[in-house]
Order: sequence, then C-alpha cells, then structure tokens
Amino acid sequence: MNRYERWAAAAAALMLVAGAAIFLYAPTDYLQGPVQRIFYLHVSSAIAAYGCFAVVLVGGIIYLRTESVIADRFARAGALVGVVFTTVTLVMGMLWAKPIWGSFWTWDARLTSTLVLWIIYAGYLLVRRLSDPGRQAARLAAVVGIFGFIDVPVVHFSVTWWRTQHPGPIIVNDALPAQMLTTFFLTMACTLVLAAVMVWVRYRIETLTDERQHIAEAVPVVAAREPEPVP
Amino acid sequence: MNPFRVALAVARKDIRSEWRTREMVPALAQFIVLALLIGNFGFHIDARNAPAIAPGILWLALVFAGLVAFGRTFAAEREQASLEAMLMTPASPVAIFAGKAIAASLLLVICEAVLLPALTLFFGTPFTGDVVAAVLLATVGMAALGVMFAAIVARVRARELLLPLLTLPLWIPFIVAGGQAVQSAMGLPGSYDQAIGLLIDFDILFVVLTSLAARFVLEE
Repeated sequence: MNRYERWAAAAAALMLVAGAAIFLYAPTDYLQGPVQRIFYLHVSSAIAAYGCFAVVLVGGIIYLRTESVIADRFARAGALVGVVFTTVTLVMGMLWAKPIWGSFWTWDARLTSTLVLWIIYAGYLLVRRLSDPGRQAARLAAVVGIFGFIDVPVVHFSVTWWRTQHPGPIIVNDALPAQMLTTFFLTMACTLVLAAVMVWVRYRIETLTDERQHIAEAVPVVAAREPEPVP
Repeated sequence: MNPFRVALAVARKDIRSEWRTREMVPALAQFIVLALLIGNFGFHIDARNAPAIAPGILWLALVFAGLVAFGRTFAAEREQASLEAMLMTPASPVAIFAGKAIAASLLLVICEAVLLPALTLFFGTPFTGDVVAAVLLATVGMAALGVMFAAIVARVRARELLLPLLTLPLWIPFIVAGGQAVQSAMGLPGSYDQAIGLLIDFDILFVVLTSLAARFVLEE
C-alpha cells in the first residue's frame, strides 16, 4: 500500500464513520421521516464541490499570472472532483425532492444555478480533453474556469425573482437540534477530507500524465559529433 | 496606436468581408425563419397564447442564430492564419478583440432585424421599442461572451461541439433577464425596469471581464 492508497482508505473509513452517525446517531426528522437523512451528505457534498471549484478559480488565476504547471494541475484535479461532488449533490437532491416536493426537479434558483455549475465545469473538462495538452490549453481552460466561477452567483442572483422552493440556510440560523448539527459537521468534515484526498490523488495522476506526455513528446537532442579532422 | 481606431478598423474589415462575400447574413436570416417555422409547428399557437410563447421562441431563435454566427467569427482568420498576423502588429489584443466583438454584435443585430418583425408578422406580438431595447441590450453582453468563447474554441478540436457547451451557460443570465424584459413588454407579469437594469449590469460586468480575458485568449 503506498501513501495514496493509505490516505484513500482513511478517507473511505471516515465516510463510513459519517454514515454511521447519519443512520445511527442523528434523530429521525419528525415531518419528513428517514428521507431527511439525505440532508447531511447533500449539503456536505455541495460545500465540497464549491471548495473544489474555488481550487479551479485560484489555480486558474495563479496560472494566468505565473504559468505555474502545479497550479494548472490543481485546477484540473479540482474541476474533475468538483464535477463528481456536484453530481452527487444533484442526484441526492433529486431523490430527496421526489418524496417531499412531489417532483424530481423544479426550476428554482438554487437548482438552476447548481445545474449551470455542473454544465460549466463539465465543459471545462471537455475543453481539457479536446485541446492538445500544453500552455495554450491550460490558459484557455483557466479563462473558462474563472468565468464559470463568476457566472454561478450571477445566474443564482438573476433567477431569484422566481419563487424559490429550496430551503434557505438553516445551519447559520440555528434551526437544527444539537444532534443533527453534530452529525452535519461530522459529515461535512469527512466529506471535505474525502474531497481533499481525491484532489490530491488526481493531482498525482495529472502529474504522471504530464510526465508521460513529456517523455512521449520530447525528442532527445543528440549533439552532432564534431567531424573527424581529415588527415 | 489608438486602440479605438484599431477596434474600428478590425470591425470594418470583418463587415467589409461579409459585405463582399454575403455568406452569413442570408444564411442566418433563413435560419431564423426556419426557427420560427419550427416554433409554429412545435407549439399549438393561437391569438390567446401567442404572447406567452413568442418570447420563448424569440430567445431560442436568437440564441441559436448567435451560436451559428459566433462560430464563424474566427473561421476566416483561422483559414488564412490572419489572426497571428494581426497579433504581431503593435495593436493591443484587447482592441482586436473589441473589433471582432463589434462586428459580431452587428451581425446579431441584423439577425434581430429579421427576427423581431418576423415574430410580429407570424405571431402577432407587439413590436415595440421596449422589446427592441431589451434585445439590443442583451446583444452587447452575449456578443462579448460569444466572441471570447469563439476565440477559445478556435484553438480546439471539435469546436462546433464545444462552442454551445461553453457559451450557453454563460448566456443564461442574459436570457433570464432578457426573457423577463420581453415577457413583460409583451404584456405578461413581471417588472420591465428591473429586468432592463439587470441587463445593463450584466453587460457592464461581462464586457469588462471579457476585455480583461482577451489578452490571455488571443495571444499565442
């Protein structure tokens, strides 16, 4: 087991601990019943996704300023992991919405802007896939990543005219009982650890890919031998 | 070099080349009429529900015509590798970008000049200054974003595939606010002034941001 595998195993174990807290420690919601337990992972993975996209934003800005390959690799890793966590958020949200709201989807501000977020960063990954690796791809993708991060609050803000169905922030409003709050913070911490480990592993994969690409592309420069002096 | 004159020169070059070839405008006009035709058959439209459906058809037609138009923005430059030549001059990339954006938005305005009267003709919706103002305001920001992503995908394989995927999510704010403005201009509930205010905000935001990004997008 190398250290990446050890960290991955640790993150998976932490998620099991969080799962135990969600199903065994947290009380069942009076109104919604067991389906409310989706809440813990739903919100946690949304926060993890925001964190990952912040990595893309910061990585993109640093790349545009310094052309640091490390920043670009972190941005790539953050985008992929962020899309994964956004997918988890969307799917769990839909599963929760069906029994409570009566439909999988509604065009609410929060849902719409999360879907746009998913589309933007899936597009970011497509840009990376479809452009030839190198400086140019990194630069273009950095611009896409930065614009994506700006667009999401803008979409959210512009859609808020529509009647909103998604509940607002309940953590900061102190609306949860202590056991639910503890479970939520535990799940959030574990999910953030998982996201960080996933970004780190992905960063390693991107580094190895870059190196392989480099080896494949680099033509060994052999200095021409001095011509032998003709006697 | 005066950046404003550079921008105008680039825009004039694009417009002149379109004027001489007359490739895009007839194709786009036909595209828009076809989109309205599809709208007519896709919805069951009568005098009562036309104001509710027409704004949607307007934005769908405009957005897809815009994608077709912006997809071609850098086609000529790519085929003749003239962008590299322009970038080698002392002209600033931002000015070149602004010139391309001006020409592209003019192309979109021509599309709108076909679309809005045709909408009134076929669906009987009001053709008022309010509708025109909303559509023109949305054009500014849409053109800035569209040209920026056209420049990005010009360097990428499968650019026809990628341009809509990148551009449409960033156009959503304009479609939300512009859709609201056109809906209320056509007599549906909603605040027109608030929507127009938002459109102006988005225009300023995205024109500034794309100008900042132009350097990174255009340069080699």
